[in-house]
Amino acid sequence: MTRERGVLDLLLQTWRGRIGLGVLGLFLFLAIFGSAIAPHDPDASSLDILGGISGDHWLGTTEQGSDVFSQLLAGARVSIVVGFAAAAISAILGAAVGLIGGYFGGWTDRVLDALENWFLVIPTLPLMIVLARLLNPSLTVLIAVIGLTSWAGTGRIVRAQVLTLRERAFVERARALGARDSYIIRTHILPNTLPLIFANTVLIVAVAILSEAALAFLGLGDPTRISWGTMLENAFSSGAPSAGAWWYVIPPGLCITLLVLSVSILGYLFEEYVNPRLREQV
Amino acid sequence: MSALLEIRDLHVNHGDRPIVDGVDLTLEPGEALGLAGESGCGKTTTALALMKLLPASFNQSGTMTLRPPGVEEPINVERRTEAGMQVVRWRHVSLVFQGAMNSLDPVKRVDHQLAEAITLHERAASAGDVRARIGELLTTVGLTPGLGRSYPHQLSGGQRQRVMIALALACRPSLVIADEPTTALDVVMQAQILELLERLREQLGLALILISHDLGVLAETCDRIAVMYAGRIVETGPVREVFDAPQHPYTKRLLDSLPVIGGSRVLAPPIPGGPPDPSDLPQGCRFRPRCPYAAEVCLQDPPLREVRPAQAAACHFAPWDEWPPVTEAAVEGAAG
Amino acid sequence: MNTRWLAGKVAAALVTFAFVLVFNFFLFRVMGDPTSQLARLPRATPEEIQKLRANYGLDKPITGQFVDYAGDTLRLDLGISQRTRRTVWTEIKEALPWTLLLVGTGTLLATLIGAWLGVIAATRRGKPADDGLLGFSLFTYAAPEYWIGIILILVFAVWLPVFPAGQQMTPGEDFSSWFAQAADVAKHLVLPASAMTLMLLGQYFLIMRSSMVDVLTEDFITVKRAIGLPWERVVRSHAVPNALLPLVTLSAIQFGAVVGGAITIETIFSWPGLGELSFNAINDKDFPVLQGTFLIFSAGVILANLLADCLYFVLDPRVQAT
Repeated sequence: MTRERGVLDLLLQTWRGRIGLGVLGLFLFLAIFGSAIAPHDPDASSLDILGGISGDHWLGTTEQGSDVFSQLLAGARVSIVVGFAAAAISAILGAAVGLIGGYFGGWTDRVLDALENWFLVIPTLPLMIVLARLLNPSLTVLIAVIGLTSWAGTGRIVRAQVLTLRERAFVERARALGARDSYIIRTHILPNTLPLIFANTVLIVAVAILSEAALAFLGLGDPTRISWGTMLENAFSSGAPSAGAWWYVIPPGLCITLLVLSVSILGYLFEEYVNPRLREQV
Repeated sequence: MSALLEIRDLHVNHGDRPIVDGVDLTLEPGEALGLAGESGCGKTTTALALMKLLPASFNQSGTMTLRPPGVEEPINVERRTEAGMQVVRWRHVSLVFQGAMNSLDPVKRVDHQLAEAITLHERAASAGDVRARIGELLTTVGLTPGLGRSYPHQLSGGQRQRVMIALALACRPSLVIADEPTTALDVVMQAQILELLERLREQLGLALILISHDLGVLAETCDRIAVMYAGRIVETGPVREVFDAPQHPYTKRLLDSLPVIGGSRVLAPPIPGGPPDPSDLPQGCRFRPRCPYAAEVCLQDPPLREVRPAQAAACHFAPWDEWPPVTEAAVEGAAG
Repeated sequence: MNTRWLAGKVAAALVTFAFVLVFNFFLFRVMGDPTSQLARLPRATPEEIQKLRANYGLDKPITGQFVDYAGDTLRLDLGISQRTRRTVWTEIKEALPWTLLLVGTGTLLATLIGAWLGVIAATRRGKPADDGLLGFSLFTYAAPEYWIGIILILVFAVWLPVFPAGQQMTPGEDFSSWFAQAADVAKHLVLPASAMTLMLLGQYFLIMRSSMVDVLTEDFITVKRAIGLPWERVVRSHAVPNALLPLVTLSAIQFGAVVGGAITIETIFSWPGLGELSFNAINDKDFPVLQGTFLIFSAGVILANLLADCLYFVLDPRVQAT
């Protein structure tokens, strides 16, 4: 295998890349056009409670008599919006903290590093739960809470990369020539860490999707929107598992799993591209 | 008298890349053979092939016969299964790796690792015997027996290499292969390790295959030398003869690039270019693209033939009675 | 030397815990304004509220409040549950053993099975067994653990009713012996512990696999083969002990996930541990309990990290020398 394989080749020529892109593309399509495809209003209730699979209800009905398939389509939008928006916040925060700490060093770095360490040690889900409960959950709050609690790993990786970049000849030269710090960061440091930040962020998208689902499952989802986590919560609290209503219980979890899987596969692929040493391990 | 080791027509391929391409070697009991050549020429692969330690992605063929003293039947390595090799390894042939390498398990104590090798091949050995043997081995290589309680990271590079040599002697083999045993050690330590190998060879009647890219190291320790280039032996003969009158341009160039302490000889320009990629070998003589004397005839494969008594070379122009001076232009021409 | 290393680690853990205390204090006293909780008291006059504030020490300056809070916390006085009117510490004390049982069983099984599968995959790199295990581990990583739990209930409690779907023991049962009771608890433990194991298995497997792949390329592995050790013994006595070291440290990172899993899995299986306690606190907005469980979860993760460091210290001779 040649080392200098383009990232596009990696995405389109490997089966992992194709599967990842294909599944993510499908969910993106559903998130955008889901409401147009949906055969029913996802919120409309009916008397057909926990009804099985039928021609009218492809994936049966909920405990409210709503259409499972239509809810599933609505849920795709929440998962994808929260996943990507929270990961973007996490990337910006992580990149900023890693860049500043790694570049300036000294006390700035020590304080930021301690902060990173602290966020890495503190159990994330309980922290999110506490924040979401105190702030009262909405889509914005969920995005903020997940973004604010998941940046530390990115910060750590960016910091390590910046530490090595800072000692490289071209940065030393720029500094010797009297370039300003902001200029050096913008033109030399950031472009060289961007691929790393990107690869890491894709993996954070997966974490964010899982976090939103878990919070929604625990009753901390946006109460005005249906997400896959909310569906699982409703299914579980209405006793759908004991009623054997598998059509209600399996699809939301399967969608979470497939979406997370596709994003993770792409993330690993980018990570291998950025860090070829990893490729030898697989 | 029968040879201790006979390798005939050894080939090792990695996929479709020939790494070792038709190597013949003979070793008498107690003899020290030096295997020289640049890194990547197949020296280490040859050694590992002899012990059948190459990863499954490598294919090896050719016959390898061991006749250790006191063993009735010759051991045909090429016919042995993995289980059959397990009783040959270390009992008859042992290895010393590069000093810099992580040759010892970092989480096991030194004496534990020595005991492991001894008990593996001598099931009957009592705990007391094994302990005594370990002490003896460590003393033999110039270490205090107390060092056995150490972990590898607690030892210096030189001490670790001595432990590795003690390990190589643990099962009293008749052949030790030392692969760049002094590389990555400082000069003083290098001299000590070489001295130790030489002393052990005399005391224990060991046969030794010493692998090195450094002809100077081989000159001090070996009786005979074989020079490898791109998977083949290009020259072989007694150390004195080869050093005094090399019969292959590659050997000549290697020798010319050796610094001579106190000598007034002007260092020859380094050999241009690098060894060829095994997947893209030149036609005919493999040294041709780098050889200042290359001619039309070199497009044909030169066989390894005896050109002087006991000395063989794979060069169409051998025997060389004298070496025409090499001009910078010829070197440049060969490189281009 | 050794004691200095250990003292450093303990000090770092204490500092982290101090941070948790400060954070917890600000989170609940400042962001989650306690007067809003007090205002929920029916028909409280401003004077009464003022009196209550004084009772709670809320009229003191913020630093004084923090000293009070830290002192109370260290005396395990974590306040009173708004839901049950019992002390938070009593609630936690009752729930903790159940969480430890579930988390301990799950972590132990995941470590053992994950390490074992990791060895299998690493020694068969690129073969179907390796690919299959990689795919399986990716799937269990991507699948939410509570969903796996629901499926386990669906399959093993509803379709094939072999295991109970919830709670820690059969309610109302009068056990003839402690053994019968233990057997009943074990039966109830099967499904939640399986969900916990499946949640952690993928990560442990991946860590062990990559660690093994690294170790197998080391030179001493070739040396061990060269001394005539059969391959299985090289793997068992040399590759695995070396590969387990990173598993110990890297698995420490997993403790946060373990706690998260405890919350969702206990919720699914009505397992009366800290996770279910926090779930109820979330729904009832029972802030003192939420604050208490968050504190305990954080302390638990910090402690588990410290233990992992100590374990690494015992296992790796190289750490002891430095």
